[in-house]
Amino acid sequence: MNELLTVVVAVCLAYLLLLNLVYVALAAVSAFENGVRRRESAAEDYETLASSRFTIPVSVIVPAFNEETSLVPAIRSMLDLEYPEFEVIVVNDGSTDGTLGTLHEVFGLEPFETFVRAVFPSAEVRAVYRSRTHEKLLVVDKENGGKADAMNAGFNAARYRFVCGMDADMVIAPDALLKGMRLVIQDPGRVVGVASQLGLALDPGRVMATPRGSRPVERRPLFAYQHLDFLRAFLTNRLAWSRLGFMLCASGGFHIWRRDLLEEIGGYSLGFTCEDIELTFRAHEYLLREGKEYAVLSLPDYIGATEAPDTVRKLVSQRERWQRVINETVWHYRRMCFNPSYGAVGLLGLPFYLLTEVLAPAVELLALASLPLAFVLGVFDLSAFLVMVGAVAFLTASLTAVAILLDDVHSRMYRLRDLAWLLLLAPFDLVLYRPIIFWSRFKGTWRYLRGDKSWERFERNVRSQAV
Amino acid sequence: MHALVLRASVLVLAAAFPLWLLLSLTVVVGRARYDRRQRTGTRKPSRRQAERLLRRALGSPRTEWGEWRKITAIDRLARMRHPATPHVLYHALWGPDDKAAAAAIRSLGALGDLWAIELLVAALRGGRVSRSRVASQLERLYPEAGFLLLPLLRDPEPAVRFWGATLLTPYGSLAEVELVNLTRDEDANVRAAAVEALGHRHGPYAAGATVALLEDPVWFVRVHAARAAGHVAGAEAAPAITRLLTDERWWVRTAAKDALETIGKDAVPALVPVLSSPDRFARNSAAEVLQDIGLVDHLALEDPRSSLLRRIYKAGGPRLRAAAEARAAQARAARRERAA
Repeated sequence: MNELLTVVVAVCLAYLLLLNLVYVALAAVSAFENGVRRRESAAEDYETLASSRFTIPVSVIVPAFNEETSLVPAIRSMLDLEYPEFEVIVVNDGSTDGTLGTLHEVFGLEPFETFVRAVFPSAEVRAVYRSRTHEKLLVVDKENGGKADAMNAGFNAARYRFVCGMDADMVIAPDALLKGMRLVIQDPGRVVGVASQLGLALDPGRVMATPRGSRPVERRPLFAYQHLDFLRAFLTNRLAWSRLGFMLCASGGFHIWRRDLLEEIGGYSLGFTCEDIELTFRAHEYLLREGKEYAVLSLPDYIGATEAPDTVRKLVSQRERWQRVINETVWHYRRMCFNPSYGAVGLLGLPFYLLTEVLAPAVELLALASLPLAFVLGVFDLSAFLVMVGAVAFLTASLTAVAILLDDVHSRMYRLRDLAWLLLLAPFDLVLYRPIIFWSRFKGTWRYLRGDKSWERFERNVRSQAV
Repeated sequence: MHALVLRASVLVLAAAFPLWLLLSLTVVVGRARYDRRQRTGTRKPSRRQAERLLRRALGSPRTEWGEWRKITAIDRLARMRHPATPHVLYHALWGPDDKAAAAAIRSLGALGDLWAIELLVAALRGGRVSRSRVASQLERLYPEAGFLLLPLLRDPEPAVRFWGATLLTPYGSLAEVELVNLTRDEDANVRAAAVEALGHRHGPYAAGATVALLEDPVWFVRVHAARAAGHVAGAEAAPAITRLLTDERWWVRTAAKDALETIGKDAVPALVPVLSSPDRFARNSAAEVLQDIGLVDHLALEDPRSSLLRRIYKAGGPRLRAAAEARAAQARAARRERAA
C-alpha cells in the first residue's frame, strides 16, 4: 500500500512540477509580449485610425437571450464606440422576457425587411428592426436556437468584412474596437482573429463609467479571485499563446474574426456545449491544413467589463460548462495533438490544454485521495504538508503578481489600494478559490463523461433595471 | 522520497515567498511612482537624455526589444520637435527596420509640415511600409497635401495611381479630368479608385464616366461605379443601375441596391418593372428599396389598396408586408393621438 501511495504522490508531484514549469515559461514569454504590445500601442496613432476612411469597417454582433436587465447599457456602450464605420447587430434569440420590448422602448425600433444572404445555418428569422434614433443599430428577432445559432444569424446580417462578437452583458470601452482592430488594419490578409482582455464586474456599467486609473476592483473575495483568474488567463497565458502561435481561445465576450474565414469554415457549430473555443480550434485546424499564413492574436488591452457570477453556485455552473466544452473540443480535435503538421498548435497548444485542463481534475482528485490514504497508513506528515502547500501557494501567488504587474504596466486601470488588496489575496487562492474551481472541473468532467451537453445559463446579478 | 519532497518544498517556498514579496513591492512602488508622475506632469528630457534618445533612434538594434526602444525614441524626439527630427525620420523611413519606418510614418503625419508631406508622398511611391498606413496619414493632412498628390496619378506603378486617386476623393474639383482619364486605366483597382473619387465630384464629366463603368468587365469596378453613379448621376443612371440588381456577383447587386436608395424617389420609375423580375433577389431588392425610401409607408398609410402596393408586397414577401402594416398602424395611432 505504501508503494501505491509513493507512486500516487510521485505522479502528483511530477504533474505539479511540470505544470508550474509550463506556467513560469508562459509568464516569461507573456512578459516579453506584453512589453512589445505596450510599446506598439504607445506608438500607435489612434486619432488617425479613429477618423480615417481607410480603417476597416466592422460589424458588431451581440447575441441576446433574456438579457432584459443587462442589454441596454451594453448596446449603448457599443453605439458609443469611437470607430469610423461600424454597425451593431443585436440578435434576439427568442427571448422569453422583455428583451425585445425594452429594445423597442429604448431605441425606438421599427420593423423593416432586410434581405440577407443566408450563408450560415441559423433558426428562422421572425423580423428585422431598425432604430429610429440610432442608424447603426439593427435588431434581428429570431426563433430560439442557442448562442451559436444567434451568432450565425448575426453573421448573415453583417455587411462588413470583419465581425466582432460581444456578449450582451459586456460594457465596452469607447476605444475597444480601435484597439482590437489595430493589428488587423496593419495586416488584414494575415490577421484573421483577435481577442483581448476582459474585466469582471458585479455591475459592468458602473465600473466602466469610472475613469481609467481609478476603476475599482470588487473587494469581495469571490469577485477578486475571479478577477485574478482572468488576469492570469489573459496576461500570463494567452499573450504567450499568441506570441508562440497557438492562441486557441478567442472568448465569446469579445472576439474579432474575418468574415470570409468564417464562411469557409461554416460559422459556429451547433453541436458543442459552448461555441467560442471550438470555433478557434476549427479556424486553426482549417488554416493549418490549408497551409495558409495567418495569425490569431490575443492583446493585453482592457476592452471592457463583463458580468461575473456573484455566488459560488453560479460560478460552479459557469466553470463546469467551460470544463465540459474544453473536454469536448480537445477530444474532437485529438488528431491534432502532438501532430507536427499542425505546428505550434499541435505540438504546444493542444498538449497544453490536455495537461492543464483535461487531466487536471483527475490528478487533483488523485492528490486529494492520497491525503486520507496517508492518514490511514500513518505516514501523513503535517509539517511537510504545510510546507508543500505554502510552496505551491506562494509560487501561484508569484505568477498572479506577474499578471497584476503586466496588467498595471500596460493599462494603469485600477486603484493602487485595490492592487494591494489583490496582491494580498493572491497567496490564499489555493485554499479559498481553487477548491471551488476543482469542484467545477470535476463536475464538468463527470458530466462530459456522461455525455451531458445541457447548460444552465447563470442568472444575471441583481442590479437596477436598465433605462 | 519523503525527505526529498520536503527539501524541494522548502527550497521552492524559500524562493517563491521572497519572489512574491518582491513582485508585490514592484507593483505597488511602480504604480505609486506612476501616479506621482501623473500629478506632477512629465518632465522635458534633459540634454543628455535627448542625446541618448538620438543615439537610440539612429542605432541599429539587433533584438525585437531594441527595435521597440528605438521606436519609442523616434516617437519622443518627434513629439518634442527636436532639431534632428527630419534626419531621424528620414533615417528611420529608409532604414532596414519596417517597424521603425511605420513609426516614422506616424510621426510625419503628426508633424504635418511641408517636408513631412513630401516624405510621406515619397514613402507612398517607394512602397515603404503598408501603403494604406501612409495614405491614412496623408488623408489627415487634408487640404495641405492636395497638389503634392497630383504626381501620384501619373506614376508608372498601378498601386501608386490607385492611392493617388483614393486620396484625391475629398478634394472637390481638383484633378477631375485626370480622374476621368484613370477610369480607362488598364488596372482594375485604379479604375475602381478613380470612379469612387468621381462619385464625390459634381463636374461636367463625372456622371458620364461613372455610368460608363457600370458595364466594366471586373465586378468590383462595377460595385464602385454603381455607388458613384448613385451619387453623381442620379435618376439618369437609375435604369442602368437597376440592371445590376441581376448581376452575377452578390456584392454588385448589394451595391446597386445601396445606390438606388441613394437616388431615392427618382429611382421609382426604374424600380417598378423590377418588381416582376424573374430573379428573386432583384424582386426582393426592388421592394426593399421602395420600403427604405418611404414609398411603401406612404402607400400603406394613404392608399393601402393600391395595385402598386400589392405588387410590392408580392415581390417583398409576407415579412415586408407585416413590417409595413405594423409601421402604418403605428403612424395611424400617432395621427389619431395628435388629432385628439
